[in-house]
This record gives sequence, structure tokens and C-alpha cells, in this order.
Amino acid sequence: MDIAAGLAQGFAVAVQPLNLWWCFVGVFIGTVVGVLPGLGPPATIAMLLPLTHGMSPASAMIMLAGIYYGAKYGGSTTSILMNMPGESSSVITCLDGYAMARQGRAGAALGLAAIASFIAGTVGVVGLMLVAPPLAKLSLAFSSPEYFALMALGLSMVVLLAGASLVKALLAMLVGLWIAGMGTDLFSATSRFTFGRAELLGGIDFTIVAIGVFAIGEVLASVERQGSGQLQPVPRGLRNLLPTRQDLKESRFAFAQGSIVGFLVGVLPGAGSTIASLLSYGIEKAVSKHPEAFGTGVPEGVAAPEGANNSETGGALVPLLTLGIPGSATTAILLAALILWGLRPGPLFIEEQPALFWGLVASMYIGNLMLLVLNLPLVPLFAQLLRLPAHALLPLILGVSLVGVMAVSATVFAGLLVAVFGLAGWLMKRLDYPAAPLVLGLVLGDPMERALRQSLMMSQGDLSILVSRPISAVVLALAALVLLVPFARRLNAMRMRAVES
Amino acid sequence: MIRAFVRSVGAFTGFALSLAASAAFVPGKPVELVVHTGPGGGNDVLARAISAMAEKENLLPVRFVVVNKPGGNGAVAANYLAEKKGDPNVVGLITSAWLVGPMTTAEAKVAVTDLTPLVQLVQEPAVVAVRADAPFKTMKDFIEAAKAKPGELKQSGGSLTARDSIMRQVLQNATGARWAFISFPGGGERLAALLGGHVNMMIVEPQEAGEHLRAGKLRVLAQVADKRLPGFPDVPTLKEAGYDVVLFPQMRGAVAPPGIAPDAAAYWRDFFARLVRTPSWRKYLEDNQFEDGFRTGAEFTKTLDDTSRQLAKLLQDAGVKVVR
Repeated sequence: MDIAAGLAQGFAVAVQPLNLWWCFVGVFIGTVVGVLPGLGPPATIAMLLPLTHGMSPASAMIMLAGIYYGAKYGGSTTSILMNMPGESSSVITCLDGYAMARQGRAGAALGLAAIASFIAGTVGVVGLMLVAPPLAKLSLAFSSPEYFALMALGLSMVVLLAGASLVKALLAMLVGLWIAGMGTDLFSATSRFTFGRAELLGGIDFTIVAIGVFAIGEVLASVERQGSGQLQPVPRGLRNLLPTRQDLKESRFAFAQGSIVGFLVGVLPGAGSTIASLLSYGIEKAVSKHPEAFGTGVPEGVAAPEGANNSETGGALVPLLTLGIPGSATTAILLAALILWGLRPGPLFIEEQPALFWGLVASMYIGNLMLLVLNLPLVPLFAQLLRLPAHALLPLILGVSLVGVMAVSATVFAGLLVAVFGLAGWLMKRLDYPAAPLVLGLVLGDPMERALRQSLMMSQGDLSILVSRPISAVVLALAALVLLVPFARRLNAMRMRAVES
Repeated sequence: MIRAFVRSVGAFTGFALSLAASAAFVPGKPVELVVHTGPGGGNDVLARAISAMAEKENLLPVRFVVVNKPGGNGAVAANYLAEKKGDPNVVGLITSAWLVGPMTTAEAKVAVTDLTPLVQLVQEPAVVAVRADAPFKTMKDFIEAAKAKPGELKQSGGSLTARDSIMRQVLQNATGARWAFISFPGGGERLAALLGGHVNMMIVEPQEAGEHLRAGKLRVLAQVADKRLPGFPDVPTLKEAGYDVVLFPQMRGAVAPPGIAPDAAAYWRDFFARLVRTPSWRKYLEDNQFEDGFRTGAEFTKTLDDTSRQLAKLLQDAGVKVVR
């Protein structure tokens, strides 16, 4: 079908008052869920699924998708304000987002995240509309070796993130990879590093580790500092609550780059939004004129990853709707919902259900606009939170942390774990170990190990499969290039010194 | 005929007894429906569907709250149920994985028989699928090709103790053919690997393969079922294709925590008996191409025993380490 005709049909569906209402309900719930750490979109959509049986499939799909992309808007809020990544895709946002908040620029960071989300969210829908079927076919060219290369590229980006010491970053990453190895091994069904405890058979959830080493570690460090080096309160005046023209100008490339990288990564069912935000942050840092400033609160360090994890949703809907293949827990439950309503997502879906597909696309344009209007006024409100004195703010952060942990697993064991990781986070801060590599190692370790072992099973143990396939060879070469960057810099610095002396 | 009669009499008396008993226990607060997968996993979706049907058909005075306890192929959820000893407001949904877990994992100490078995709900058939442009037209073609080039053909599937892996072992043992098995945790990834041509074969649930069959992207070689499914009248079962092997019994059912009062157990058996008679349930079975496998009471306990014995043998034959 002609795209213009399809879109016209779609808007006819999406602007029906009832569908507009459900779209609003979806993005509103999504925003709330995104702000709260721990309670993610998969659990929320699953909870609401039984309530959709009285709705038309179009309304229900519009609402559930609204929760999905709406949650990405709010995801950065706790990362920026409390150094608490609620989803693995916002770990990267903590780096520059929280640094901006500490300089009294929380409002600017939140505003940038909202604008980046809007731009990228819209780009994601455009991509979904224009190139879904051919891209879906292309995504099938990716299999385990390519995913291994992609994860390797992601982990090599960690080197780029490394602060003062490369060795410390790598050590932190190794610990993350070790934690990722805990639980039941998929391939041999044996248990690893479970210390005989059934609670560890499922591994350790990312949320528990992230909240521990990031948020609780930061709270403990603040207590230790006893007021010195506190968060700068947000200066009064509306102008200080929103990004400046300068911020926006510096983020121009990040908006565009994040949108495209996020969408392309989203199309690959085995990749995920963490790798999308990580790659786009890495690219931003690699092309930046001032890479050394990343991590100290640069606006593009917030705009790029936040954009990428929003356009990723548009991308992730491509294999879901055109192949019936989900790439994440959220899309898996959307797939289940479609089947439950008697619809059949697959290669014939767009052709046979044009009203539903185009209605969803149109509703996503509207939903993204709603989210911008909904989120921008929230920015000053959230930024005011940081005006709270430390003796009120720190317990609040602890409280939100515990709610997040309990949402994932309401057991005493989970409470103990988060305490252990909180202490670890504080120790790491004292000893100057960066926390992001640990958490990213944990998130990427599992898919990376799996992809490697799958590749070797495919090739009967021959490692050359990783470089004999063109896509994986190119991506691995990129990863090697990224690893060489710090050495090149060091060489350059030595040369400069030699020239000076 | 006689068996069917006995079964219906049994079901009727069970029903009558449970009617009498259900006057005693009625849940007065939201009931936890425990599943061993995260949101979006097979049993999670089943739980959401049951919860929606209970509401739509007015089967339960309270609501279900789905509780996800993922990890260790059901071990974490089984532990959770064991901790809820005596609590009549908790129900768990199980799969064959719950039976396999304690056999193969030392940490998984809670067997299904340590809990209170309620009913078996469905039996899930599967089909052997290849890409539509693959050279294999029949199951025999595939097996012969695997024999000719041992280890070169690949199958995508789930964990080592899942049905697709065990069926591969059984078929390999029966035929002497050898092919590789590549585990992917998500059904989507398995299917993507097949569609992308990175593997050659997959044992897949009919519903999952359905749309790609309709679009002409996949071909079905055989059915992993005792008799042909309504959706695939022209495809032979494994036995009809010449491979008379023991089929891995893939079931889903319901359990309660250990030590709950008999009236509460009776209430839940009756609840599921009423559930499976609703049109919503019929439609659910049809949409997912599940086989009706409702068994309750002593019949379910016996099925569990038989299934466990079969599974233990299959696992041993397949060379999986069995710890108990």
C-alpha cells in the first residue's frame, strides 16, 4: 500500500476520540513507570493485559505501545536526579546527566533528555513506517557471530568511558562479567557460582546491582562527605530550569546520530537498548572535539544515549510486526497480546491488518507529541526535588531504591544483595573504580557469552567464524579500533611532551 | 469407550465432591498466580490469559495477581511455593521443566510432588520445521543428510533439558544421525536463526510457525505428536514418518503449595474444571493450537508419575547428567 494512503488511514484510526484517550493513558502510565526504577514496561504491560479484553485490538495496541515508548521518556529521570538507573539503557545517562545535576543543571539535563526522546522517538516511527519490511529481512542476516561482535564493540566502548585508570575500568568490567555468569548455564543446564543457593539459580538481576553500586553507593559517599561537595541547588528562575540555546546547539549531532543508531540497533532482535545507548554515547565521544569532557556533564552525553534508547522502540517494532519475532521482554509480551486478541503478527501482518498497523504508526506520532507536552512541564517540578536538604533527600533516594529492588524481587535475600552492592559501590568510589563498566559488563556479559558459544557451536569450534562473516568481521575491526584509541592518545601525549621538552 | 466412560464418571464424582467441598473454602483476597518465567514467557502469558478468562467468565470472586519468579527452570518458583506452605491463596502454573529441574539441578530441591498437584491443563504438540527453500522435503531427507555429513546440520532450540533438545537426542539415538544443537534463550531468536538460514531445523510450537508457513517461508517435515493436529492434516507424525520414538511429554498444569486444606485443593480443582469448559478456554486452545489435556485428581497424580519416569529415562538416554 502507498505510504501516504496508509498514513491517512492510520490517522483516521488514531484520532478517534477513544483511541486518543487510550494513547494518552498509555503514554501517561509509561511516563510514571519509566520514572519509577524497578517497575519496567514488561511487568506493567503484563499486568494491564487482562484489562484489555473489552477494548478493540487497535485501542489496546495503541495503549500498550504507549506504555512501551512512554517508559523510555521517564527512564532518565532517576538517572539524572539520583544517579539511579532504572533501566539498563539509562546507565550511560547517569554519567553526564548526574554530573550536570551536581552542577545545578538538572533541569537542563532533564529537558535535553525529553527533547532528545521526542526527536528520536519520531525518527523511530518514520523508520518503522518507511523501511520496516526490507529492514526486517536485513536483520535476519545477523546471527550469533554478528551479535558477539556487536557486544564486543559495546564492551570495548567501556574503555572509552574509562576515567583516570584504564586498568581499574577493566577490573570493574571483569567483576560485572563474573556476576553475569552466575545462575543456570543455558547450554549445559549446570549451575555456576550459585554457592548452593537456589535464589542464585536465576542469576542476579541488573536492577539490584545498578541500584546498589550507583544510587546507594552515592548516598553512602554523600553521607561521608557530610555536606561538602553537595549537589548544587538549582538556581531560581525558569531559564535555569531548561536547556540553553548553547546546550541544544552542542547536541545537534547527538540528536541525529542517537536517533539513527538507536533505530538501527533496535531492528536487530538480539541487540537491545543498552547497546544502542552505549554505542551512540561512544560514537558521540569519538567524534567530539572535547572527548575528555565526557563524564563531567556535557549536554551531548545526555542527548545521544537518551535519543538512542527512544528510537530503539520504533526499531524493535519492526521485527515484531513484520516477522513476529520479539527482541526483548517487552516486545515478547506485546506479541503475546497480539496473539491473545486473535491477531497474527508475521510476514502478512501489515498487508492483512493495515488499519491496525497504520493506526499504531499514526498513534505513535501523536503519542510522542503528547509525551513532550507531558514531560517538559515535569522538568522544573523534578528539578525542584534537588532543593531538598540532604537529610531529606538522601533517605528519599534510599526509599526509592528499596521500592525499585522490591519491585524486582520482594525477598530478604534481594535486600541483602542490594546492601552488599551498595557497600561495594561506596568502596569503589573511595578507591576510584568507575561503576559503569561493572554494570555494563553485567548487562552485556550474558548475551556476549551466549553469542560466542552459539557461534562456536555453529562452526564446530572453529573461531574463524567470527571473522569469516563480513558483518561480524567489520564490527570486530571497529571494536579493535576503539581499543586502540587510548593507546593512540597516550602515544600522542608522549609525543607532545617530547616536543615540549 | 469403557475408559472414556470411567473417566467421565470419575470426573463427575470428582466434580460433585468438589461442589460439596467448595462450600468450605472460597478465596477472600486476591490470589497469587505464580509462574517461573518473566513477563512475556510462555507460562506468564498463560497466567494472564487465565486471569482474564476468570474475570470475563466470572469464575472467581477475587482477582488473580500474577507473580513472576523466574530462574533455574522453575526451581525459584517451586521454592517460593514451598515457602507458602498451607496458604490456600496461592496457585502455581507448572510445565514439564518443573519435573526436569530437580532431576538435573542439585540446588532445585522442591519436586512437583512435594507441592499439591491440582490439574493438568494442556499438552503442547510441536512440529519439525525447516526453511521453505531447504533441500529437505521429508523427515527422512533431513535424517539422511545428517547421516551423510555428521555434525554439519544445525538445529536451533532452547536449553539442553528442553523438549527440542531431548527429541534431538532421541532421534539421534534411534537413527545414528548426528547434527548440532544451538541453544537460544528466546523463542524469537531461535526462529530468527532458522529464518535467516543460520541453522537448518527447529522443533517449534505450531502457533509460532503458523504465520511463516502461511507466508511460505517455512516447511513442516513432521509433527511431534501422537496424532495429526487439525492445523496440519497433511503432515505425518514422527511415527508415521518412520521414526517410532518416545515423545517428550510437554504439559502445562497447576499446583498449590504443600499442606493446604483438602477443601482448598478441591476448590482449585473445581475452578480449573470450570475454566476448561468455558468458550474462552476453547478459543485459547484453538488460537495456540494446544491439545486439550485436562486431567485432575488421582489421574493427574498418575500422569505426573508416568511423565516423571518417562522424562528420567529420556534424560538418561540423552546423556544428561541426572542428580536424583
